[in-house]
Order: sequence, then C-alpha cells, then structure tokens
Amino acid sequence: MRGKARVNLNTVIVLVFLAICSIGVLYPIVYVVSAAFTPGSSIALDIVPFGSGVTLDHFRYLFKNTNYPIWFRNTFIIAISTSISTVVLASLGAYVFSRFRFTLKKSLMTALLILQIFPSFIGMVAIYVILLRVGGLNTLWGLVLVYVAGNIPYNTWLVKSYIDTIPRSLDEAAIIDGASHFRVYWQIVMPVARPILTFLAIASFTGPWMDFIFPKLVLRSADKQTLALGLFSFVTDKKNQFTVFAAGSLLVAIPFVIFFIATQKLLIESLGASTVKE
Amino acid sequence: METSISLEPKPADAGGRKKVLIASIVFMGLGHILYLKQYLKGFFLATVEAVFIAFLPRITKALINLQTLGEPKPHLPIRLRDNSIFMLIDGVVVVAAVAVFIATYIISVRDAVTEYDQSRGRTVGIRESINKAFPVLGLAPSIGLIIFFVVVPLVFSACVAFTNYSSPAHIPPNNTVDWVGFDNFRALFGGSKIWTQALGRVALWTLIWGALATATCYFGGMLMAVILKESKIRIAPIFRTIFILPYAIPSVISMLVWQNLLNATFGTINRTLRALGIISVSIPWLGDPTMAKFTAVMINLWAGFPYFMLLISGSMSAIPQDIYEAAEIDGAGKFQVFSKIVFPIVLYQTAPLIIMSFTHNVNNFGAIFFLTGGGPVVPDTTVTSAGGTDILVTWIYNLTVNLNQYHYASVLAVMIFMVLAPIAIFNLQRTRSFREGEL
Repeated sequence: MRGKARVNLNTVIVLVFLAICSIGVLYPIVYVVSAAFTPGSSIALDIVPFGSGVTLDHFRYLFKNTNYPIWFRNTFIIAISTSISTVVLASLGAYVFSRFRFTLKKSLMTALLILQIFPSFIGMVAIYVILLRVGGLNTLWGLVLVYVAGNIPYNTWLVKSYIDTIPRSLDEAAIIDGASHFRVYWQIVMPVARPILTFLAIASFTGPWMDFIFPKLVLRSADKQTLALGLFSFVTDKKNQFTVFAAGSLLVAIPFVIFFIATQKLLIESLGASTVKE
Repeated sequence: METSISLEPKPADAGGRKKVLIASIVFMGLGHILYLKQYLKGFFLATVEAVFIAFLPRITKALINLQTLGEPKPHLPIRLRDNSIFMLIDGVVVVAAVAVFIATYIISVRDAVTEYDQSRGRTVGIRESINKAFPVLGLAPSIGLIIFFVVVPLVFSACVAFTNYSSPAHIPPNNTVDWVGFDNFRALFGGSKIWTQALGRVALWTLIWGALATATCYFGGMLMAVILKESKIRIAPIFRTIFILPYAIPSVISMLVWQNLLNATFGTINRTLRALGIISVSIPWLGDPTMAKFTAVMINLWAGFPYFMLLISGSMSAIPQDIYEAAEIDGAGKFQVFSKIVFPIVLYQTAPLIIMSFTHNVNNFGAIFFLTGGGPVVPDTTVTSAGGTDILVTWIYNLTVNLNQYHYASVLAVMIFMVLAPIAIFNLQRTRSFREGEL
C-alpha cells in the first residue's frame, strides 16, 4: 500500500514538473500564433492570447502588399541549391578522403577541421569584394557559393566518418570487376551512405532559411530579398508591424515544425548514431 | 588504396626513372608527354604551367601591391586612386594561387615517378586517365570553393589585423590603408584604456556565456531525457513532441519573439506579472547588464535544451538492456544505476559534442544579436559599440557594419582563432580514426 502511494506521488510530481516545463516551452509559441491573428498592428500583445478577436488581415497583407511570395521563392531556390551542392561536393570529397591515400591528405583533413570552427562572416569584407570581382553580388548564386563553401569543411568530415564504416570489400570487389571509381562512388557507396546524406540534405536545406548576415551583405535589390531579411524588416525599419511579422513567421515555422515532429524518431537515431561512432 | 595492378613487375630502371624525374621538374607535364605517353594529362599540366608563366608579370605586380598596399594619390579622381583593400585581397588570392600551383607541381612530379614505376611506358587510355584522376577531380571543386570563400577571407581578416583599415581616415577608395605591424594588438591589449577594458569585459563574458550556455542546455536536456525515459507516464511522447518545438522553430523568429515578450514596458511578461499583482515595478529583463546576461542564458536554455534531449535520448537507447538488468540483480537503486552507469556512458559518448557545442555557443551570433541586440548600453558603448551582452562575434559584427573599425574587428577574429583552434585540434586527437592513424 505504502509503496504504491509513493509511486503515485512521484508520478504526480513528475507530471506537474513536465506540465510547468511545457507551459514555459509553449509560452512564446502561443503568443506568436495569437499575434498573427490579432487585429491591428500593436506591438503590445494581449495578456490573454486571442483576447481581441481573430482576423486573417495580416496574411492578406503579406500576400497583397509585400513581396512575401518572392522572398519565399528566393529563399527556397537558395536552400534547395545549397542542399544539393553540399550533398554532392561533401560526399565526393568524403569518398576520396575515406578511400584514397595521397600526398597532403592528413594536412588537408586537419585544415578542414580547423576551418569549420569559424563563423564564415568573420571574412565578410573579403567575401564581399570577391563576389564583387566575380559578379556575384546581388545574385542568388553568389549567396549559394558562400553557403556551400561554408558547409563543406564540417560535412566532409561527417560523411567521411560514415563512409569509413562501410566495408571496403564492397568497393574493392567492384574495382576488380572493372568498375571505375566514379561508378563505385555513385552506385555502391552513395546508396549505402543514404542515411547520413539524407540528414545532410535536410540540415543544409534548413540552414539558409533563417540566415541573416549574408543575405544582408550580398542581396541588395527588392526582388532579391529573402525571408529572414523581409521578416526582420517588419520589426525594425521603424515599422513595428509585429503582428505581420508573426503571421509571416508562422507560415515559415509551420512546415518546419511538422517536419521535425514527423521525423523525430529519425532525428534521435541519427543523433545517437553520430555519438556512438565518435 | 592500391588500384592499378601491374601485371609484370619489372625491376625499376634507374636511368629512365631519373630522366622522367628531371623532365618533370624542368617543365610540368614534360615527363608525362615524353616518357609516359600520357598525353592528355601531360598537356593539361603543361598548360597549367604555361598559364602560370603568362601571368607571372601580373602575379609579381600583385605581390608588390600586397607589400605596399598602394600609394595615396589625392590629386587623382577617386575612381583612379589605389584601392588598398582590392590590392590586399588580390595579393592574398595570388598567394593562394601560387600555393596551389606549387602543390600541383610537387604532385605532378611525384605522380610522374610513380607512374613510371608502375606502367613502364605502357600507353594509358583516356578513360583510364580520367579514372585515375578521380581523387583529384572529386576534391578539386571543394578545395577551390574553400580556398576562395573560406581560406582567402580568413587570411584577409588576419592580415587586416595588421593594418589601419578603419573609419574615418583609412577607408578606400578615398584613402589608402597601410601596414601597421602590431599597433592594433598593442592598442587593444593595454594601449588604449577604454578599448582594453571593453575587450577584457567582452572576452570574459564570451567564455562565461559559452560555458553557461553549454552546461545549462546539456543538463537541462539530460534531465528531460531521463525523466521522459524513466517515468512510466503514458503521455511521455506528447511531452517529448512539445519539447522538440523550440528546436524546430528557426531561432531568428523565436529570439525576436522573446525580445518582444521581454520588453520592459510593453512586453507581455511584465504586463502579465503586473496584472497578476506579482510585481509592482517592471523587471528590466533586457535593460540591466547583469539581468540581461541572465535572461540571455535562460532563453538560450529554452532554445538549446531540445538538441541535447534528443542527443542523450539517442545515446541512452544505445546502452544495452542487460547492463541495467545486471545492475538491478546486484541490488543497485535507480539513482545508483544512473550515476554509476548511465551518466558516465552518456558523458563519454557525448563529450566531443559538448566541446563542439561550446565552440558553437562562443560563435552563437543569433542567440545574442536577435534577443538583446548586444544591449543594454554600458559606459564604454558609445566609443567601442560593445554592449552589456555582446560576445566577441556580435561585437565583430558591430565594429564591421556600424563603426567600420575593420582593424579591431580583425584582431578579435584572430583572438577567436587562438582560443578555438586548440580546442578543435584537441577534439580531433581524441577521435578513434585519428588515434588509429587511419585518418
């Protein structure tokens, strides 16, 4: 009897604790959702969420009076190009690092590791001038080049350590059968490495959505803006349209949230796997 | 990996080998063309050297410019004056290009000799050449991109730390920039009182921030992971889904929302607390330097604990079940099992990621910039632009974008390098692939 009562008390304490934490976690989310549907453009939100009624005006405003669809399209183009290029280049590099011995290999690997610790914007003045010289300013591809270059060092390591775990007997057999290195890479190693490549594709796709510094540096004209720049402009620029900002943010965040919840099992597995392998 | 299989290994012919070596050293690719009959590769390498020679005058000029950074020519129209920054970047690019050329040269000579030992004059087809070049072709785009968009910018930044590139007197194209040796370092480390104090304050806070942000998120995440796993609550998956949300929401959005909620006058949090009668005076969440630091760490905990919760859940589920059972049979309590078995295993497995998380937090621009904007203002902010919660990277951003003090910003970048590079190398040395020498 006594034991059971204690277990129940423990469960209650844990439940209360989890409930309090949930409120803390959900607090800002509830307010941003409420702000997105609140009439008017006050920066002071209602104390009680949805306290002053519900309206879709801010969403209409986004699509009629702002370049929101263009921002969305630009960001999508940048994200998808960055994702594909990162996967291709990082996997090629990782395969070479994993399977070949060559001069300077160890130095190159160490260099990649040291380079990945820097936030790329430390060199932003130089990146600006280099893009100016190659005509990449105010273009989406210029921004993609910057992102891909920044992604390669760490992700080459990540994919390399995964490919290291694929038995070499697989590709050695294929080479004895006369397959070229490219075929081994494309038809044998890539399919086996699919889990890590999927993870990499997703991670490098989500990265550019909310980056702020480089779009601000590279993109100038109104038709080249990205979501982060556009949304940020609602809460600065002396506009203070927090409710419009909330509506725009909601539209970006919803797909992300659905995606993360749907893939949480995969996330736990891949994060767990990355620790065990070191 | 050994890939080319020579059918009849013959003893190496010392004379022929020497001829190949000398020809390859005299002109890149010559050995491949004359002795190895690898025309495609040979002509490609020869073209590289020809292009290099053709550009030699320009390369020399760029290197001279790198040394002088141009002369002030106030009588010329601005468009025609020497632009020191272009000269500096061109110089760094040229140095990088020369380094690549030298590396190619060395590789080509070594390749010629190895090829000679292996193929002994056998004609190599185009297909086989391309196949053999796979490692080079596979790495070339990555390395090219990294050199021009990562290495050159970083080297450029490091160089700027030794120049006077700053507003108002040294901004091209109006004025030139000059090399000043260690003057900037001297100014920041004792020379200029206000800057030295600001640097000490920001550097200390950056380290405290990195440590606190990592520790709170790690232990917060671990607490949640353990509770969700150990408590036999049926609705645990619902809680886990709720707790993932901060990880899923892009941080720019969540930080800007928090900034609004925490505003001292119109922020919802203070107004709610006042309406409930809990406080009578507004709490300056982001307005007081100490309070703002505390708030930043707490909000970062909100945003960062889900990552470690997921990570530690994954790591714990990889612990074999029989370890738990054996401990239970030996009479270990739940707390003992956790502190003596689960915690050490999880800590060991996640140690590299804790270190990575620390470097990430030291560089966590978004968590500070979008939440506090570096603020609040402290006494030296008007001069140095470093606010009460600014960490090194946000300060670099302010110095570059708002004040145009590129020289001091670059000194800070060099400092970040000196702190983080040893950590990264230490992290590398404990990985298995490094220890086993199969890097």
